[in-house]
Amino acid sequence: MAIAEPATNILDSKIPSGPIQDKWDKCKFDLKLVNPANKRKFNIIVVGTGLAGGSAAATLGELGYNVKSFCIQDSPRRAHSIAAQGGINAAKNYPNDGDSIWRLFYDTVKGGDFRSREANVYRLAQVSNNIIDQCTAQGVPFAREYGGFLMNRSFGGAQVSRTFYCRGQTGQQLLLGAYQALMRQVSTGKVEIFSRREMLDLIVVDGKARGIVTRNLINGEFETHTADAVVLATGGYGNAWYLSTNGNGSNVTAAWRCHKKGAFFANPCFTQIHPTCIPRSGDYQSKLTLMSESLRNDGRVWVPKRKDDSRPPAEIPDSERDYYLERRYPSFGNLAPRDIASRAAKLECDKGHGVNDTGQAVYLDFRDAIARDGEDVIRAKYGNLFHMYKKITGDDPYHVPMQIYPAVHYTMGGLWVDYHLQTTIPGLYALGEANFSDHGANRLGASALMQGLADGYFVIPYTIGDHLARHSFEKIPEDHDACREALENAKGRVNKIMSIGGSRTPNQFHKELGAILWDYVGMERTKAGLETAIENIRGLRSEFWEDLKIVGKNEELNQVLEKAGRVADYMEFAELIATDALNREESCGGHFRQEHQTSENEALRNDDDYAYVAAWEFNGVGEAATLHKEQLEFENVPLATRSYK
Amino acid sequence: MNWLIRALSSSIGKKFVMGITGLLLCGFLITHLAGNLLLYVGAEEYNHYAHALHEQKMLLAVAEVGLFVLFLAHVVLAVVTTRENKLARKQNYDVKETKQKAPLFAYFPHDVMWTSGVIVLGFVLLHLADFRLGLRNPGPEGEEPFDKAVRLLHDPITFGGYIAGVLVLGMHLSHGFSSAFQSLGLNHPKYNKFIQCAGTAFAIIIAVGFASFPIWAVMFQ
Amino acid sequence: MSHETINLTLKIWRQPNAETEGRFEEYQLEGVSTHASFLEMLDILNDELIEQGIEPVAFDHDCREGVCGMCGMMINGQPHGPDLETTTCQLHMRRFEHNDKITIEPWRATAFPIVKDLVVDRSAFDRIITAGGYVSVNTGNAPDANAIPIPRPDQQQAMDSAACIGCGACVAACKNASAMLFTSAKVSHLSSLPHGKSERSERVLKMVAQMDDEKFGSCTNTGECEAACPAGIKLEDIARMNREYLRASLCSSGQ
Repeated sequence: MAIAEPATNILDSKIPSGPIQDKWDKCKFDLKLVNPANKRKFNIIVVGTGLAGGSAAATLGELGYNVKSFCIQDSPRRAHSIAAQGGINAAKNYPNDGDSIWRLFYDTVKGGDFRSREANVYRLAQVSNNIIDQCTAQGVPFAREYGGFLMNRSFGGAQVSRTFYCRGQTGQQLLLGAYQALMRQVSTGKVEIFSRREMLDLIVVDGKARGIVTRNLINGEFETHTADAVVLATGGYGNAWYLSTNGNGSNVTAAWRCHKKGAFFANPCFTQIHPTCIPRSGDYQSKLTLMSESLRNDGRVWVPKRKDDSRPPAEIPDSERDYYLERRYPSFGNLAPRDIASRAAKLECDKGHGVNDTGQAVYLDFRDAIARDGEDVIRAKYGNLFHMYKKITGDDPYHVPMQIYPAVHYTMGGLWVDYHLQTTIPGLYALGEANFSDHGANRLGASALMQGLADGYFVIPYTIGDHLARHSFEKIPEDHDACREALENAKGRVNKIMSIGGSRTPNQFHKELGAILWDYVGMERTKAGLETAIENIRGLRSEFWEDLKIVGKNEELNQVLEKAGRVADYMEFAELIATDALNREESCGGHFRQEHQTSENEALRNDDDYAYVAAWEFNGVGEAATLHKEQLEFENVPLATRSYK
Repeated sequence: MNWLIRALSSSIGKKFVMGITGLLLCGFLITHLAGNLLLYVGAEEYNHYAHALHEQKMLLAVAEVGLFVLFLAHVVLAVVTTRENKLARKQNYDVKETKQKAPLFAYFPHDVMWTSGVIVLGFVLLHLADFRLGLRNPGPEGEEPFDKAVRLLHDPITFGGYIAGVLVLGMHLSHGFSSAFQSLGLNHPKYNKFIQCAGTAFAIIIAVGFASFPIWAVMFQ
Repeated sequence: MSHETINLTLKIWRQPNAETEGRFEEYQLEGVSTHASFLEMLDILNDELIEQGIEPVAFDHDCREGVCGMCGMMINGQPHGPDLETTTCQLHMRRFEHNDKITIEPWRATAFPIVKDLVVDRSAFDRIITAGGYVSVNTGNAPDANAIPIPRPDQQQAMDSAACIGCGACVAACKNASAMLFTSAKVSHLSSLPHGKSERSERVLKMVAQMDDEKFGSCTNTGECEAACPAGIKLEDIARMNREYLRASLCSSGQ
């Protein structure tokens, strides 16, 4: 494996000293401030308008900075945070069931399988309560009791009820809250929105991030935007796998282009694969839809014992069904954790027990629950999910078992950031799913929304001021060498894509890349498989640059061209995912290496050698990346094996 | 008064005025129908009512001017908003289907409000020309109101126009009545059904009530 | 999930950009799985068009699970197709018959200029929200979330209205291309919560003024928007906005 070793350890996580409870306060006090009158002299670019980007842009505008906010969709309100269903965690302890900031912190570190940074997670738990207050004040209609007080529900990985929710649309409501706060700043003139813009490069002047190059998706114009700092909130890279629960527009391009400009990429192999998604039904499939994990409270997961059994499920008697989760994990049964359940499903399907025309699905059966509780009880609990399932598949889960299969859902890895959320490029910040910091190797349910909003509302508004106050910023003219270089870089890549003249569409390449990643860098990874993946990715990448077919022009709305640019970046990025997975000789959270498991198929961590964040430095496409290690210290949550028994 | 002009010239303000004038005109329809029903009581009572009404010169003048203003506002707003609404979609769909469940006769009165309004306007003008201004068939001096009504209703154009006019008016009202409540913000799940039914009932009463006069006149007088 | 495939004739509006005249083109598509979603059917068409060197049909889409509001097109004259409370991305081909002819058009409204093919510019909606569709609370100002109890019916009603996905189907369906349902959903959402009450008058006046400026038509209470809405927004919201507007115009101290 080609990995370059760094000369010296240059990663400075800037974690404040002192007890963990006081770190954030100490950090805030030590940060240099920009006085209110001076804030209007600074310009900040925020890329992405999801929970992290939208909340950041709004809050920075409120503080008085001049903000330019960019999104690829037609409106900031459409960012993919909108699709989050379940809820958002906070340590309010409203149910009086023993929750605390410490417990939320503890659960998150443990849930992340000890691969996250304690200080960041503690801060996340600390500000979680402010998020609920802020969103409520914005008019987010969280569920309430009859008395008018807020209601909580339970979620995986916690023994307390701490999840706030708005029916099945929590992400939508939180995002609209942030969007409305953002539009309020637009009305005051502090924020300017640039929609249908795709960030294609970062402008770096004297080692500091000073702007971005975008392509206007409507007319293909390349634009340079300069500023004093750049905030990246461009989400995760789950779409590298082609099929995921992400929106079709979600992509890695902005983060990857920053990586190529010098920002380190951390733990790219940490990917969450969610066990309960509606399976693929054919080659045309464009995305996978998540079905809430809560279904496993009452549904029983099974496959036919006989291989390639084509009988309808109702005709298969109990004696010929294999309730494999109940068999293998008798104590947790169908409620085994996400990573275990996902891997088990894959195993059964690989052995030929899978159902559906593709053989890539297992049953989630409510027959027994309906017989026990009656259809009405089940309808009251899961009616909307059953309805959604029926809309998509045409099958009625009250009478036919659901078919489910795991799907790529969330990426814990992302750009490496310090405690200030600053990347290794000064002045470039990464928030939300785009950074790596808070979830370690596995994210708990209802924590993504919490992290995005914590970063945007309550962290970046403080920390960015420190950077602005400590440096002097000369105005960058648009024809500055760095701008021209970035602009030419972005244009050059588009021109190169336009000029190939091959025969395969970007979608076809994307599907092939996704298949490689799914087969070798999916739920279960092996050394040999990862090596094959790297070889195949390289092969596919060179085919891509020889045989890509594009129609239309650059100077117009050209969705094929947009897609091609994103696939081109996945082709490079995928190699880093595989490299990282190959380097990490242990199993932890969403990263399962077949070589490293207990006799009971549990993930086997290697804390002695791998309790570090792998931060990769770019050295060129196809060149070995340099591995920088940030050693993780666990002073407050003692390292322990997660147990499901 | 800037605030009033601004409010009334907004899209909601215009609809508000449209609704108010519509409902007030509905009130006029009720009194008019009630007065006309005296035809069935007898010639003497009807004539007595008509004479008593015409003796109130001031009241009549105020009422007529008021009605004229209401009617004019209703018509002008209809013209203005219809024009604006046409401009809001300059190119029409090649195919357009509704997703609403079709009512009884698989047609929507709200789709033809403009057309039904124009027809009603025509009818009102004809009606005024006949009964108020006496332009088409002026009767003999000193003709009693009852005789005049019966005579005019025998005229084929008046007869046909009257029946067609009030039926279309009923159609207009079947949407307009409940729509006015919606425009005024008077919409509540508890009462909506009632308002809908009241609107339909009102439309039927008005249409059938008025349509009965020419039929009665021709068949029984 | 047994497989069936159908053949289709697609009559699709093609328009290179806002300035150029558009026209319908017909395409034959064969062997479409009935399990594919409507947008996946268009993906298949587009891949075939690219292979033939023809520019694919541009259409907006993102989450493909019915919540982002990005997709939307007139399918045989109905916004988002024939199903109720369903977005285009949730519509599946099992809803169509073998050899069907499907007419696909963009949303048509003066306030939604066509960008390309089936893509329209809905930034007018953003400007309506910008005019006042928010609660003016800076980050950090908020009291404890339980400080002000909100009766559950109010919260439920606010949630019903807040579910709007901003897709524009209401405008597309309305014979007057009116944006009343969209605007009223936000007015209703915020005016039914205590946190949004203090600026309710200003909010509704500004949002309606912006809506009028954007050249949407006015509401004639036909109910087409409600029937077309994939998020189940109700006409009650429009009445509520009318009420709010009258109240604000007649009773509020401002303006």
